[in-house]
Amino acid sequence: MSILTSETLSSRFTLSGNVMQTLYRVLAVALLCVALTALSDVFLTANNILNVLRQTALLFLMASGLTLVILTAGLDLSIGANVALSGCLAASVIKITGSPLLGIATGVGCGFIIGLANGVLVTALRIPSFIATYGMMWVLTGITYYYMAGETIHGFPPGFRQLGSGHLFGIPVPVYFMVLFLMIGVLFAQRTTWGQQIYAIGANPIAARLSGVPVERRLVLVYAVSGAMAGLASLIILARINSAQGDIGEELTLPAIAAVLVGGTSLFGGSGTVAGTLIGALLLTLVLNGMNLLQINSSWQPLATGIIILLAVWIDIRTRRIGE
Amino acid sequence: MKYLVVGLTAALAALSSSAALAEGESIAVFTKNLTNPYFQAVRVGTETAAKKLGVNVIQYVPTKPDSIPEQLSQVEDVIVKKPNAIVFIPVDYKALVPAVEKINAAKIPVTNITDRSAAGDFVAFVGADDYSIGLAVGKRLLDAMGGKGNVIILEGVKGSLTSTNRVRGFNDALKEYPNVKLLASQPGNFQRLNALQVVENLMQSFPQIDGVLAANDPMAVGAIEALEAANRKALVVGINGSKEAVDLIKSGKLLASGDFNGFIQGCIGTEIAVRNLRKQSTPKEVMLKPIVVDKTNYAPYEVPVEQRTCPTLEQVLAN
Repeated sequence: MSILTSETLSSRFTLSGNVMQTLYRVLAVALLCVALTALSDVFLTANNILNVLRQTALLFLMASGLTLVILTAGLDLSIGANVALSGCLAASVIKITGSPLLGIATGVGCGFIIGLANGVLVTALRIPSFIATYGMMWVLTGITYYYMAGETIHGFPPGFRQLGSGHLFGIPVPVYFMVLFLMIGVLFAQRTTWGQQIYAIGANPIAARLSGVPVERRLVLVYAVSGAMAGLASLIILARINSAQGDIGEELTLPAIAAVLVGGTSLFGGSGTVAGTLIGALLLTLVLNGMNLLQINSSWQPLATGIIILLAVWIDIRTRRIGE
Repeated sequence: MKYLVVGLTAALAALSSSAALAEGESIAVFTKNLTNPYFQAVRVGTETAAKKLGVNVIQYVPTKPDSIPEQLSQVEDVIVKKPNAIVFIPVDYKALVPAVEKINAAKIPVTNITDRSAAGDFVAFVGADDYSIGLAVGKRLLDAMGGKGNVIILEGVKGSLTSTNRVRGFNDALKEYPNVKLLASQPGNFQRLNALQVVENLMQSFPQIDGVLAANDPMAVGAIEALEAANRKALVVGINGSKEAVDLIKSGKLLASGDFNGFIQGCIGTEIAVRNLRKQSTPKEVMLKPIVVDKTNYAPYEVPVEQRTCPTLEQVLAN
């Protein structure tokens, strides 16, 4: 067994291996855009592009942290429930103290702690991530329902609302978050030793351990990051909808997982990119935007989304085989 | 022998539920979830009525919202515990029929509220009908628009009875106003974030939206936030008569909300269950009149449900 140093790791898992995969996805997005432009005269307007980017941002923020987890061959099913609890706690703190900053700290902090707890369940207690985070989902949902008791928290200060519905130089604020975390994510995953170690853990945890990667600590890190990103996303949701209710996270987990998978990250770990996840999130958002613009009958919308996901993953598997 | 069995049963019953008997009959209440304020209002209604009538209520709510298997197993548990009566909202009007049949077989009297079960023997049904509320709140919006302009509909979860009937009410209201154009009818899944994003998308296609018909209050809130963020104005209506909706009606952001009256349904459902136990006469069906809450009549809705008093059955029937 050869000892893998961080140098040999980074040469094995560089961006270039994923460039073709990313290009295929960009092509798919481009084709969809061409089709939508042909079908709807408002699709390709500055307003709608910004609108789509703002909606993509939210999905991407949740999916970006999740990407790291899936890169280690893990899964985080608790992010939707995390959004609900972090969001509801942050909303109460803002309501009680009147301070958006305390609210933001609460939201991200709560998300982070939940992520840490997931990390501990997966590493120290050796519970498979699927089960650990599934259990965590129920725990969080229970706490949230008990805490909220069917009530709604409504109306936040205008300053806080800028996070979700504000603009800076004509561009929606969430889009800046998306760009920021895209850059951080790509740099972290591709250019740092820790990032490379995450790929190594996903590709082969035993080899990674033998080559000196502190597997447990890196795993706790990825779950904590995923949790903190869910906490951050919850704040943007609060700022956007100006209210919090116990079920705000209900329909967010599966689309985030879909964005990661459509973005080309393998559920088996070790392969994929944060940039791919952005494209996945964009693709899913474009599909919904297109169906709204074209007023597709509501019965057909889940069907269309399902077909897009299956198609994207199938094309992915095909191109991978050709690549090999 | 027969007397012995009866005697034993009575003794056991006295042992097991002596505390409950001392405090009055026990009533098991089934609602759909812990998240929707509507069901919270129903539960508070049943508890308020129970206090007034001197009975105990025990709440059964699926931990996963609207979970059919979970409610099924809760019904099985309750049949074992044998409460004196049951007040029942099926999470699905068809899928829970077998559960209702088991309750019937166990001879526990059951009163159906809110969503009418497709089959089974009930003491009574208490409800308000989604279609009439959709129709009434729809007309209120179209009147306020002066009978002309462009509207969009935000549907709930596709395939749910609630959404289907409310949207049918909206569409029938539209038929009476030929000068109003329906631009789009799209799903917001009863969720505020989904509704917000759907309205954001629809605003791209339609430069002029004058009215929004939302199939529940959270979606109406989502629509209001989307319109405000884009500096656009439209009249918005929702359904539920929730506390949040009343606040928005007060501040002029929401035109109206159809009241589904969860609190009163909880009150009357419990009262009928108790009357039946005490061998008093009960109606077979109570349909509450659709009420549209707006600027003119929101005051009573500002009182938190916990502080409201239950109307009597006679008062409701007289309306």
